[in-house]
Amino acid sequence: MENRFFLDAGIPPLHFGSSLSSSPMSDWQSLSPVMETQSQDCFPTDYGLQYESALSSMVSSPAASNCNMSSESLMMSTPLNSPPKLNLPVPKSMGMNSGVADFSADPGFAERAAKFSIFGSRSFNCRTTQFGPKDNGEIAACRFDPSAANVKLPRVSSSPAIKTLAANSQEESTVSKQHPEPGFKGPNSRKRKAAPKAKTNETSPSPSPNSSKVIKPNEASNEKRCKLSESNENENGSGKAVEEDANGSNTRAPEPPKDYIHVRARRGQATDSHSLAERVRREKISERMKLLQNLVPGCNKVTGKALMLNEIINYVQSLQRQVEFLSMKLATVNTSLDFNVESLMSKDVFQSNNTLQHPIFPVNSSAFLGHQSQQNPPLHGNITNGTMTQCSVDPLDSAICPKLNTHLPQINQFIKTVPQYPTFCEGDLETLVQMGFGQNQSQEMALHSQNFQGSNQVSDMKVEL
Amino acid sequence: MDLQNLNPSSLKSRFTARFLRALTEINAPKTISSSSPREIFQRYRRIKVAADKSMAYSVRSRRIWSRATLWRLRTRSRSRRLVSFGRRASVKTRTTASHGKENKEHHGAVLGVQAEELRELVPGGEAMDLCNLLDETAHYIKCLTTQVQVMRTIANLYSIE
Repeated sequence: MENRFFLDAGIPPLHFGSSLSSSPMSDWQSLSPVMETQSQDCFPTDYGLQYESALSSMVSSPAASNCNMSSESLMMSTPLNSPPKLNLPVPKSMGMNSGVADFSADPGFAERAAKFSIFGSRSFNCRTTQFGPKDNGEIAACRFDPSAANVKLPRVSSSPAIKTLAANSQEESTVSKQHPEPGFKGPNSRKRKAAPKAKTNETSPSPSPNSSKVIKPNEASNEKRCKLSESNENENGSGKAVEEDANGSNTRAPEPPKDYIHVRARRGQATDSHSLAERVRREKISERMKLLQNLVPGCNKVTGKALMLNEIINYVQSLQRQVEFLSMKLATVNTSLDFNVESLMSKDVFQSNNTLQHPIFPVNSSAFLGHQSQQNPPLHGNITNGTMTQCSVDPLDSAICPKLNTHLPQINQFIKTVPQYPTFCEGDLETLVQMGFGQNQSQEMALHSQNFQGSNQVSDMKVEL
Repeated sequence: MDLQNLNPSSLKSRFTARFLRALTEINAPKTISSSSPREIFQRYRRIKVAADKSMAYSVRSRRIWSRATLWRLRTRSRSRRLVSFGRRASVKTRTTASHGKENKEHHGAVLGVQAEELRELVPGGEAMDLCNLLDETAHYIKCLTTQVQVMRTIANLYSIE
């Protein structure tokens, strides 16, 4: 399900990792030192080197993707042969170019450039054809595609790749690890994130083949297997936890809501896998509680899980009791009825079901009673309507209970067994009793007395239960 | 009298069809004279079982609670001779229940009591962790409301006739 969300979000599918082949990577790796030398003048030493290698690896990953591979490689190769500026590697990474230029100036820029570079690498697949014919110079001129960046920013910001880039010393490893990230589905990236989170800061070797190797086991994993993948990723582990913490404050906002597996270690929060899993669980639970809040009427004012659960429990209990009462009603009502009307009834059932649908959902169980009285004005006599309206005043008000108790003393014992939503039950029993009367009056059955006794004894038998 | 709102494959229509069929079966052999309290009580039980069963069948096995209900009904009918009439024949799997409790305590013992109650209410809830339990509860509530609506309408229609 989560994977579907990822795909719908337009993230390139997982073919990234599967189609990653060694050949384009080796090409790029061979070219990377060329690029490094060429770009030396652009960067300060540490940033430049690491960024360059990161660039190359990132570039190579989109190259290996399954879409438009040839055109991509073509585009990537031409820039390499062109002048020493870093415009080449990828037309997408034009954001990187300008970002690269500023990269030396500001670590904050590094962050942003990292993000944009990820956009570049990520948007590479979909934008290859678009950017194909464009001139490299033009691409270098424009910083990056803001729309693409904006579109992809939320998703990318939630990936660990950005945070890894923004780090300082472990950049190379993180970046190299990052290039498979954009193409991955949720569980994988989350797994990547969770796995290194459990580790302390580790230095990173992580050339791209390493990360590509890790991709494949990552693909098959799911949420529960993050610990298993940790062993795979051990060598690639970097100080992602630290970086994520540092960047959590910067990139906290756009966590995709559907991506419930993505857990970001927020600033000041524990980052071990246990607490992460706990947090995921808690978020899931609170999400479901919100859904339940919409289902259960009258729960909007209630805050807090305990109270909500109480409300839910009461509501489920009341619904179950209503089913019992209605089945009892059906059992008594149908004794005297002929079932030839079933066909007519089925039609009517659907129609009145439709009419019932809307008013039934408003807000509390008073709606049940109120609506029932609305529906059956010709049905019962004024007696039932009177009792119904009494019930519909405030079914949850226990003050009504003693009032109704006095009306029907034989139901008293039953009322004691009813903890919550009592008035509906009483009202139903009343209608049950009085229906016996009404029925018999309308049909002039000789079973008048029998029915009455039957319904009374039914209520007594309920008490015995 | 518009039948256009009718969705023949909706939960409500499925349940209604099944329940009406069950009702005809229950009421068919009865004659007017059979209105003794015991008969009524037996019929009540049968109708209740029919309601639960038809709702569970309408949901098929897509939900844990429906599967649990169907399984419970089947075992109950089988073990009816052995078990006394009023007692529930539900089987609690201790291992899964303890696992559920583990999750509860790990998450926070605050919701432990209510979660236990909810587990008792929702059929098949003993073996679910809180997350799935809430999911099942939501679906169960939806089905229960449908059930109540349909049964109430039927009862009203019957009492009109």
